[in-house]
Amino acid sequence: MVVTSVTTRCDEALLHFGDSNRCSSRPTALITRPPGALGQSGGVILREPALQLDPRVRRLWALEWGLVALGAATLTVAIVVPTALADNRLAAVVVALIGSSVALILFGLAVFQPRLLYRRFRYEITELGLYVARGSLWRRWQVVPHARIQTVDTKRGPLERTVGLVSVAVTTASAKGGTDIPGLDPRVADALVEELARRAGIDEGT
Amino acid sequence: MSEPSSEPPGRLHPLAVLVFARKRIGASILPVLIIAFTWRGGFALPVLGVLLAVGLGVLVLEWRRFTYRIEAGRLVIERGVIRHTTRVVPLDRIRGVDLQAPWLHRVLGLVQVEVEAAAGGSSAAELSLAAVSAPEGERLRAALLSARGSKEAATDDPPPLVLYRATPRLLVAGGLTSGRYILTPLIALGVLANFADDLPGAFGERLLSEAADRVPTEVFGLTVLIGVGVLVALVLAAAGSLLTDWSFELTDDGDRLVAHRGLLTRRAVAIDRSRVRGFDLLDSPLRRAFSLVGVRVVAGGVGGGRSGRTALAPVISDDHARALARALDPLTALDAMLAHHPRAALSRRLARAVVLPTVLGVAALALQWWLPAVVLFGLGLGGVPLAIDRYRQLGHRFDGSRLVVREGSLTRRWTSLDPRAVVSYAVQRSPFQARSGLCTIVLHLGQGAGSRRVLDCSEEQAGSLLAALDIPLFAPFVPLSSQRVDAAA
Repeated sequence: MVVTSVTTRCDEALLHFGDSNRCSSRPTALITRPPGALGQSGGVILREPALQLDPRVRRLWALEWGLVALGAATLTVAIVVPTALADNRLAAVVVALIGSSVALILFGLAVFQPRLLYRRFRYEITELGLYVARGSLWRRWQVVPHARIQTVDTKRGPLERTVGLVSVAVTTASAKGGTDIPGLDPRVADALVEELARRAGIDEGT
Repeated sequence: MSEPSSEPPGRLHPLAVLVFARKRIGASILPVLIIAFTWRGGFALPVLGVLLAVGLGVLVLEWRRFTYRIEAGRLVIERGVIRHTTRVVPLDRIRGVDLQAPWLHRVLGLVQVEVEAAAGGSSAAELSLAAVSAPEGERLRAALLSARGSKEAATDDPPPLVLYRATPRLLVAGGLTSGRYILTPLIALGVLANFADDLPGAFGERLLSEAADRVPTEVFGLTVLIGVGVLVALVLAAAGSLLTDWSFELTDDGDRLVAHRGLLTRRAVAIDRSRVRGFDLLDSPLRRAFSLVGVRVVAGGVGGGRSGRTALAPVISDDHARALARALDPLTALDAMLAHHPRAALSRRLARAVVLPTVLGVAALALQWWLPAVVLFGLGLGGVPLAIDRYRQLGHRFDGSRLVVREGSLTRRWTSLDPRAVVSYAVQRSPFQARSGLCTIVLHLGQGAGSRRVLDCSEEQAGSLLAALDIPLFAPFVPLSSQRVDAAA
């Protein structure tokens, strides 16, 4: 995968990377009705950001959720076996039922949640700032203007390292005003950090 | 006040030892007392004496080792008996200097100096000089803040202009109309009840049964009892308000707004005018009935976390509050009519207030828990007028220079804001909002000023607001005060 660097192909998308980070050519609108009422680009007020995460992020999230599920399952077994051995049937059955259903739900999340989140996570560097949209049912579109960005960090956790991905965290003067982009290819992340730092006027990225 | 680049390091006032002692003893007096009173051997007094001597020695050492100085544009604080630490803060990073005088300080003629430095608002980063003499405190404040403005402090400036002064009458009215103070006796009762449990000999139970025996049962007696209770609550409310905000005075000395307040603990909070980004008017239904509001400043680095630091006027008449905000920022748009949010927002408010208690109430009915069911249904019913008012209060407006948002009923917040204070913003939409074409805009303000919301506006409103806001967000940062000059010119 090659970073094709800064272009303006996707509408106002300024960062456009190689084909693995597909650029959704048709911006989906938050607001589609009534068309043209606001006199801007066909009534579209907040179009979706253009870029997607690295597809491998699905594996990363599946891994994270899977580990949690595994932990729940292990804990259940660790409690059920001694209670059963101690001839406490009822308690063993109750714990086994609750524990296994929790573990099952977590495994289910590990299977389905990453795909959904991956499909719904978009980001983009626009003229105005870093633009990130996340969440499916409860959706949140966030704009961090370039001039307000204080630090841009890349992070690699142990799990991320096994998948070969990096996450980028952006902080502002407001504790809640920052954002993060999980699961990026290191080269994409480097380009992103450099671009954000350049536009924010930060001397040293990372 | 011109500071030479090097001055002899300053020490805290020797009486600071007492202040240190009070802080330390607060934590450790109980074990010491327990030892003293339970140890039946003959050692108790000598051991206590040794402990006291050692403690005093440590405190004196602590005082000896604590030095501060201003040199080369930096505040340097050195401290530590066992582990020596040095803190260096560039003066241009200092956001504010507060002088406080808790009662012990006032008796001894001392002040506590709290320096706020730009460090992400974490309390650990704050610097505090436990006790210096009052004139030294004033000198320090001037010296610490003069570096930034590069302005000779308090030389030929006109005397500070008083913008607001709390009269006892206003404070009493504020106390009586504030729900917070009315809750105080309840809290006091709760604390007392908790405390009574810990007392030996079932003191609490005896007190309760004693009291229960004497509770009058006839209607007249009950009415008198309730009347007395309400009266006590009201008196406490008024007293609480008087205590915290006694002779609250807001002055404008050019670069800074300074608020003095308090009866026992006198506090002074200075707010840099260049950091003022807007104003909050806060009121409750009761205060609205009397046209009273509280005014707070929206400013970076004043720390909304600690209560009262942002207060410009604890209680003030509605008209005066608006005049005050306009005097500080002529562009403030708190008088303007607000755009109402769509009817769908009302359904959402109603659903939020009514659905949960009703569902729980039905569940309680099914379980035949009569009392909880009645309470829950009552809550649901009471939620209806609240929800309607919460909807009526929703509104926003942007006139190109100031953003105004309003929400809340029991505590209504009416904010006028310079949009350049916005650090980042987000549009949020839940599935319920999506169905009725609503969304919420959250504006993060940064440096402890929190965030403000445009709650449940229509997507069209959100769109036009965001489109209008983008331009000021692009603009380079200009503080309000310099803009004020432009407006005057």
